[in-house]
Amino acid sequence: MGLESKLGDNIFTTQLDKFLNWGRKNSLWPMPFGTACCAIEFMSVMQNKYDLARFGAEAMRFSPRQSDLLIVAGRVSIKMMPVLQRIYRQMAEPKWVISMGACASSGGIFDTYSTIQGIDNFIPVDAYAPGCPPRPETLLDAIIKLQKKIETERSIHYK
Amino acid sequence: MATPLEMLQKVQDKFSDNILKTSDRLGEATVSIERDCIVDLMNFLRDDTDLAFDFLMDLCGVDYLEMGGFERFGVTYHLYSMKYNHRIRVKAFIPETDPKIDTVSHLWHAANWAEREVYDMYGIGFNNHPDMRRILNPDDFEGFPLRKEFPAEGIGYRDNFEKIERLGAQ
Repeated sequence: MGLESKLGDNIFTTQLDKFLNWGRKNSLWPMPFGTACCAIEFMSVMQNKYDLARFGAEAMRFSPRQSDLLIVAGRVSIKMMPVLQRIYRQMAEPKWVISMGACASSGGIFDTYSTIQGIDNFIPVDAYAPGCPPRPETLLDAIIKLQKKIETERSIHYK
Repeated sequence: MATPLEMLQKVQDKFSDNILKTSDRLGEATVSIERDCIVDLMNFLRDDTDLAFDFLMDLCGVDYLEMGGFERFGVTYHLYSMKYNHRIRVKAFIPETDPKIDTVSHLWHAANWAEREVYDMYGIGFNNHPDMRRILNPDDFEGFPLRKEFPAEGIGYRDNFEKIERLGAQ
């Protein structure tokens, strides 16, 4: 099974960046940070009808140390923001963040003293999934967009 | 089972000095009282054999600013009797200058967290409460969010966090 039988002893040449990005974009390990109804929608993204495994992101880990994609699904309160920041810091580089739904992206309808008005004020966000809550297709679209973004990344851009 | 009027009559007979108002509107018994007699009244409602209010359904704070209460603040208790299947509502009024009232958490343990929530949201302290601290907001939170003068968007709590930059950002 596999490429070896087809290709024999041949070799490929490619750029290191392209090779790394190819591997990274097709093996995203999501860490769900679900605080509201968006997390319910996220569950259906993982299940067989929408099946995030088609994009190589089915290995869901509930530990930030084992994940490289943080999916913030739901509103974040002022009491939860320090927790989210700690989780973000615990993830190993390279790491990406998807802000799922209106609340995580902008505070949504909760223009109140206790709700963060968009997590991108305090942690970097790579892709936004709009909706309240977003349909599963929307989140899949966000992940595809994120994969396209990963394709263009430079591995040696860290200073 | 006692009718609302019978319940109110019983309470009236015993606590006539402290009662501000009673009402049986819509068949719901409501007693408005001064805060000083709250523990005695609740004890009576719970232990009287004909009333037997063994269940504190809910307890919540009210800010009556310009709403025609007897005082600025109030705490409203909803009691239910499992034995007789009847209910009563008790409103205790609390002045703004000294927002304190005695706890009823030794009568119903359900009152413990509910009183902490009232303290958290309205700043009404409960004397003799076993654990009087905030329950929903962070411990270092300042202000009481459900008071009418509190701005809905807060005063900077939601903006006051460190911004984490992307690693390698220019």
